[in-house]
Parts: sequence; structure tokens; C-alpha cells
Amino acid sequence: MSTKSSNSKARRKPKKFRPWLWLSKLATVLLVLGAVTLVYLDAQIRHRFEGHRWALPAKVYARPMELFVGQQLAPGQLDYELTQLGYRWVKRISAPGQVQKTPRGLTIYSRGFRFVDGHQDSRLAHVSLANNKVTTLKQASGQPMTLLRLEPQLVGGIYPAHNEDRDLIQLDDLPNGFIETLLAVEDRQYYNHFGVSPSGIARAMWANIKAGAVVQGGSTLTQQLVKNFYLTDRQTLWRKLLEAPMALLLNLHYNKDEVLEVYLNEVFVGQAGKRAIHGFGLASRFYFGQPVSELKLHQVALLVGLVKGPSYYNPQRHPQRATKRRNLVLSILAQQGLISASQKQQYQALPLSLSAAQQVSRYPAYMDIVRQQLQQHYPASALSNQGLRIFTSLDPWVQYQAKQAMQQQVKLLQQRHKGLNGLQGALVVSQRDSGELLALVGDRDGGYAGHNWALDKTRQVGSLLKPVVHLSALETGRYSLLSPIDDGPIEVPQADGSVWQPQNYDRKSHGVVPMYQALAQSYNQANVRLGLDVGVKQVVAQLRQLGLDQDIPPYPSMLLGAVEMSPLNVNQVYQTIAANGFYSPLTLVRQVTEANGKLLSHFAFAVHQAATNESVYLLQQEMRKVATEGTARGVYRYLPKHQQVAAKTGTTNDQRDSWFSGFSGQHVATVWLGREDAQPTPLTGASGALKVWGQLMKNIAYIAYDDLKPPSIDYYYLNLKTGQAMPSQCPNGVWLPIQKRLAPLTTTQCGY
Amino acid sequence: MRRLPCWAWLATASLLTACAAPSYGPIVQDLSVVARPSERLPSAASGSATTVTKQPSIVAQQQAVVEPQAVTITAQPQASPIQASAMQASSVQASTIRQPNQPSTSPISVKPISSDSAVAIAMLEKPKPLVDASAKLPASSRAVVEQLLAKADQLKAQGKVTEAIIQLQRAQRIAPRDPKVYARLAALKLSLGEASRAEQLALKGLTLVPNKKSYQYYFWRLIAASRSHLGDVSGEAKAIDEAAKYK
Repeated sequence: MSTKSSNSKARRKPKKFRPWLWLSKLATVLLVLGAVTLVYLDAQIRHRFEGHRWALPAKVYARPMELFVGQQLAPGQLDYELTQLGYRWVKRISAPGQVQKTPRGLTIYSRGFRFVDGHQDSRLAHVSLANNKVTTLKQASGQPMTLLRLEPQLVGGIYPAHNEDRDLIQLDDLPNGFIETLLAVEDRQYYNHFGVSPSGIARAMWANIKAGAVVQGGSTLTQQLVKNFYLTDRQTLWRKLLEAPMALLLNLHYNKDEVLEVYLNEVFVGQAGKRAIHGFGLASRFYFGQPVSELKLHQVALLVGLVKGPSYYNPQRHPQRATKRRNLVLSILAQQGLISASQKQQYQALPLSLSAAQQVSRYPAYMDIVRQQLQQHYPASALSNQGLRIFTSLDPWVQYQAKQAMQQQVKLLQQRHKGLNGLQGALVVSQRDSGELLALVGDRDGGYAGHNWALDKTRQVGSLLKPVVHLSALETGRYSLLSPIDDGPIEVPQADGSVWQPQNYDRKSHGVVPMYQALAQSYNQANVRLGLDVGVKQVVAQLRQLGLDQDIPPYPSMLLGAVEMSPLNVNQVYQTIAANGFYSPLTLVRQVTEANGKLLSHFAFAVHQAATNESVYLLQQEMRKVATEGTARGVYRYLPKHQQVAAKTGTTNDQRDSWFSGFSGQHVATVWLGREDAQPTPLTGASGALKVWGQLMKNIAYIAYDDLKPPSIDYYYLNLKTGQAMPSQCPNGVWLPIQKRLAPLTTTQCGY
Repeated sequence: MRRLPCWAWLATASLLTACAAPSYGPIVQDLSVVARPSERLPSAASGSATTVTKQPSIVAQQQAVVEPQAVTITAQPQASPIQASAMQASSVQASTIRQPNQPSTSPISVKPISSDSAVAIAMLEKPKPLVDASAKLPASSRAVVEQLLAKADQLKAQGKVTEAIIQLQRAQRIAPRDPKVYARLAALKLSLGEASRAEQLALKGLTLVPNKKSYQYYFWRLIAASRSHLGDVSGEAKAIDEAAKYK
């Protein structure tokens, strides 16, 4: 206590003011502060620069297109694929990434690409086509080529939370004139200054005074990099003060080329939704759909011009501003003597040459499932920062047609049925034998604004389960497609004492019908009878073997589809039927590699038999009948008669859900339509989902349906009234495949 | 105790702050903000009460090939066997290959391939000029398949099994119903000791060749070899009987 008071007393003693002492103390503080700051800055700069590991999002690729002689393409497919890959149509082909129309087809100059199985060099190939079929494929030398694999389309990335995306490039990747243009516009003295440029600042000030506005900045590229790289976006004095010393330090530690390369990859050049476009590598792909090495000078000028204000000069949103800015850059080049006046005029007359491909996430639903799958194998951080390369089976053409079919048909349906609001849809397409997922549409316009109806949502599937009932029946060995089934009214006592009375869609009974007609016409009463005879438990077990991993309570109502499934799961079940009864899980990730190409994982194709070949063949033929004469016959309003498909319609109670699933020789597809709020619609499977399916199948190329009849089955020409085989000259008969051991009686009479 | 002047405090404080590790903020951020919550692919699910043992999931079939730095692949218990018998040409001598990826867990022992299987595999190694089963394929897609199969054979000969499988699957996408591709894939799986997969691939192959005797014989022999490998004696006998029908 006493000491304290004495202290305060001492303080109060008048003191002589000694300015030099105060100054020296202040100087010491500042010196220490300055030194500390420098040490700190230096550490930060070196740490960030030397470790300059950007978080590189995983890149997701579509399947590469493979061209070979005899391949059937859909009309417009090849042009579409090349456009999406950013190929340029030219009069005289000279470089990778170009394509030239020829009298009989196309000449394609492919880009090189590092595939999982090794690097493929850029190649020139002459492709001739007739009726969208590849007729010849030749090398530049004229020698025949067996297979041309185009580079795969990059369809997305898995971004870290801050949504930064970039394609790393090196100085060597830049086309001629790029560096010159960049330096001419942003930092003329780059190779001569120390990181900051007093003369540059002076010149900028002078230019600004002359113009009466800020027309030039005095920052060097080094300073810009410091700004982007180390400092926050906030415009503060503190930041301004740090910028110059940091730029000096950077310049001290690293050589000009190193700094420039980092700048090229760091610079912010645009925003795509939530995704920030960093670096000229990604910018080139984003705006032009081309690798930076393929850019022409007018494109280079645009990219360099964008640095000043990526959103103000956004060429997609403000093409006029962007053109003006680009032309200004070209003028600067001419002023500095880098190009001639006539070259300047030539380039200024060119259009912006932006990519024709859509840029905003084109495949949201598909990317969704890719992410879900990958997250089972890789931690999120590995996906968003290691630059992994993910090769998927996404087929851009099928995806495009799937989206078109959904959008257009939903629109038409809403026009036809006034008041049909909130209609949603989902579409899944897989390859018939491999089980690879080719396309996924998660909502009515393929734009994905919330729910992914193909994956996350389950709805009752209705008659789509009838094929499973039939397969179970065929597996007992007691049934043939000719077996008589009673379609009379039926009452099923329930466990709770109530009685279930399923009815046909048309509220009529159709008497005794052959089994195949019960499926073709989707008779409820007949199918319930068939299912009960086989046993509900048996049907449930069959459904699970076909690939549905869900708990299904074995209530009789499941025979009419009182089971909730997602469109993806429905497609899985139909996939197994289409693949001759062999289950393969639907897959989409083919391989994952590290950024350097090293293989990390790959998907190995495997199958497991879920039903005998004989039963599955018979079921497939029944489903063919559904399409030719049954409830799905409307598909032939879309398809040519010779295209064989097998399918089934599905409609649930009060028409809340409209389903269609089936397969061609090459594809398995499932469509669901229904209201978001699950209220009734005016749509049946045939008047709704069928249309989407039909339009899709019409527009994707197909290979012929390969009818592989097992040896235990024969075709018989049958009189349905008598159930006997008759001579083929008789009228009104039906050809049906029947197991030889259940062969019908054969007569020489027609029996009519 | 003498009090430190305020300037000294200031200097020390700033020194301390500066010496603390510079905070850069995490360069890598968590994906969860952007990505939707992870969900299992509903169709690819495991555990079922059915009698058939399905391949439980895509996960199981993703074979981790190499451990990436800083990336951990959740090793699946169902992943490919750790040790497998490999056939050297037609000899019965089985050697053990260790897949580069596999963590050193206890090896799963695999029954050596019987002499009968050896015959079948030898046959598969040098495919007989089988009657053309891919007659329906256009001539050139056959050429493509041949080229890819040759490449696969070459890779396999170099011991690059995964690479060989990748080529075979590439061929399968181009000609999804070409029985030759199934024959090669099945034979490769059997040589790796994945007899169950081999058997299933051969069964699927059978459905593609209803009228091709030589292929039917071939696939049934392959099935017999696989079953023998799996210890399924009656199944093997049945397959041998079936094969005999097509000899």
C-alpha cells in the first residue's frame, strides 16, 4: 500500500520533457514492429509461395467417345459431342481441337489426353459417315484406323467450400503472344522492376491526370499477385501498406518466371454461379471451351482484358463491353508495335468466339450421385484438393436427350392438361449389359433446384412390379406364356380381418386370359391371382434378387406395386431383367486416378445370376408384347416399327404416379412423373411417362435388339381359344415362345 | 520491482504476436458445405435375406489399387482376395501374387487350381479359333474387339492384371454382348482365384451363345473349373456333363 502511494507520489513529480528520448523510444518500437512485420511477411510469402499447392478440385470426366467403323450414331450426335468438347469448325484443318467438314464426313484433329491406360497423342482422323454410321476411319496418311478415342468431356468438379476452381498451367502451355499481351496491358516493365515500379506508378498517375479519371493502375503483376494471393479482399490502408514490401520480398526470393507462372494460375477471371474461376487455364476452358494452348490472339486479348474487371466485362453477360475491352487491348498491342495495324483490324473484326457449350453445371443430378459414391471411398478433403481425376460413364449425348425429353414432354403435358401444376419428373438411363449409368435427370427441367427425384424420392411403383410377379411364376416351372389365368373379381382376406378387392383399371373383368395378356394389358385381378398362386413371399424374394435392397413387407398389395421405390432402384430391377437375368449394380465411376495419372481405384465388372435364362427370356418376350400390343404400344408413335423394345407401364392409385420402364437392345430407361405434393394427376403410365421414354429412345442411337432364344424354348403358332399349336396358314394365330417341355398340342386343323 | 515502460511492453507484445505461427487459414476446406450429405446408393446395398449372395455393393467392387498419398480408401472386406493363385501358361504350378494395394492383413488362402481347371484355363489362355459367335457384330467392331483383346492379353502377360481388365471392359462397352469378352474376363478372374466371379461371368456368357456349340462347351468347362475351385463337387460334375453335350 505504502509503496504504491509513494510511487504515485513520485509520478506526480514534475519531469523535464526530453523530446529526443521520446523519439528514440518511438523509433525503437517502430523498428521492432517493422522488423517483426518483415520477418512475418517473409515467412508468410515463402510458406505460401513454395508450398503453392492450390486446392485442386477433383475433375469429373464423361465417358470418352470411341469411333470405329460400323458404329451407329444418332443424327447430330457427333457434331454435338465435338461442340461440347470445344472443337472449332474450320475451313482448313491445322491444329488439335479443330474439325473440318468433308464431302463424306468429317476430319477431326483430336487433342492428346492422358487416359487411365496411357497417354494418347493428338491424332488427325478422316471419318466418313453414311446415315450416321461410320463407314471409314482413316489416319492422316490414308491408312485405316481401327479405333479413334476422343478426349473425354470434363463435366464437373468437386469443389471445396470456397468454390475456387482452376486448371493448372505452365508457361509452356501458353500460345504465342500471350505473355506479351499480358505484360503490355498489365505491367510493361515486369522483367525490369523490383516488384514495385515507381516509374509505372508515375506513368499511371500522369495518364490518370490526363484523362481526369482512373484509367490505369500502377500495380505491378507482382503486387497484384500479392493482393490476390496473400491479402484479403478488404480495401484497407493496412493492406495497401503491406502490398509494396511484400511485392519486393517476393521479387527478392523468386525469379520472374516463377512469379509469373503463379500469377497466371491465381488471377481471378470470372464467376460461374458459386464457382470462382481462377487462372487463365480454367478461364480458357470456361469461356472458350478450349485449352489455353489453342487460343488465338483475339481470344488472348479478351482474357487479358478481363483481369481488369471480370464481372463488368463478363463476355457472356455484357458482350459489347467485353468486345470493347478486347479491342482496346488489341489497340494497345498495335500501339506498342507488337502487331501491325492491319492485324489489329483483322482481330478486332472477329467475334468473341465464346464456347457454344453450356457452361453452368449441365449435369447436376448426375454429379450428385457421383459425389455420393465418391464420398464412400474418399474423404471430402481428398476430393476437393488433390486434383483427383474421376472417370465416369456419363454419356453426354444420352444425358442431353434425356433432359430434352423430360423438359419438352413435361411442358407439353402441362399445356394439354390445364391445372396440372407442380408436375415433377425423373429419368434414369443405363447401358443394358454393363449396368453403367449413362444419364440421370433429377427433376422436370434437369436443372436441379432442390430435390433429386431420381435418387432421393420414393413413390409407389404400381404395375411396374408385374414383370416380377411373372418372373416368379415362370421360375416355378409350372407356367408358360399360354397358361390360362382367371381375371374374374377377386377378394383377398387381409391379416387385419378386412378384405382387399383389387380392381382392373377399366373396372371390368376379362374372363380367363393367357398369361402374357395379363401382363400386356396389365390386368390387376389376373395378376393378383397369379401372384397369390406363386406366393407373395416368393415374389418379394425375386424382387430382391433382381437387385432391390429394401425391406418389403409381404402383403398381397405388393403384387400390384404397393412398394415405394426410387426411379434409380426401379431401373436397377429392370436392368437385371434386361441383362438376361444377371444382376450388376448400377455403376458410374469407372476409374479414379491421381492428378499425375496414377490409378487409385477402378470398378471391376461383375454379374450375379438372379433368375434362369429361360424364365428371363420368356419375361422379356412378354414385355415385348406389352410394347407391341399392350399398354405400352404408344411407344411406336415415337419409334420406328423395326426398333424392338420391351417395356412396362405403371400407374398408381388415383393416378398419383405415372411410370414407364423398359429397354432396347442397348439401353435401359426408367421414367417417373408425378406431382410434388403427391396429389392425383390426369396421367397414366401410358399417357405420361411413356412419352418421355419414347422421345428419349427415338433420339439415342441403338444397336439391334439381340434375341437370344435359349435352346429349351421353341416358338409355336397358337390358337388362343384352344391353346393348341396350328399350321401357320391359319388366321388369327399368335406366335409365342413356349418351353419345349410344356409344348402345346399340335394339330393340323385351325380349330376355328 | 521496477515497472517496464509501456513502449517495451508494446514491443514485446508485437514480437510475441509476430512469432506466433502465422495463420494462413486452412487452404483446404471441408466439402460438406457444398456437397450434399453422403448417402448410400440405394441400389447398391448389402445384406439381403435372399438365398443368392449378391455382390453387396459398388463399394465392394471398387478395388483399391494403390494407396494415394494422404487419401485413405476405405478398404472393403469383400475386396479381391489378397492372395490368389495364378496360372502360368498350362502348368498347374500356382504362384502367389500380392496385389500392390493390399494392406498386410491376414492372407486369404485360395484353393490351388485343380488339374481339370488347368485344362480349362490352358484352353482359355490360347483361345481356340471358335466359330464366330460375334457374327452379328459389324466386321469392324469385331476388329476393334480383337485389338482390345490382344492388348489385354499383352498386359496380362506382363502381369498387369488391372490394366488388362480395363481393356476388356473397354471392349465390352463397344460390343456389350460379345461372348469373347465374357470368356476372357471369366478366364482372367479364374486365374486370379476369383472363381465365383468367373463362374457368374461364364454363366452370363452362356446366355449369349445359345447356338454356338464351341462356346457352350468352353463356358461349361470354365464353369466346371470355377466350381472345382470353389469346392462345389456336384456343381462341377454337372457342368462337366453339360460341357460334354457340346463337345
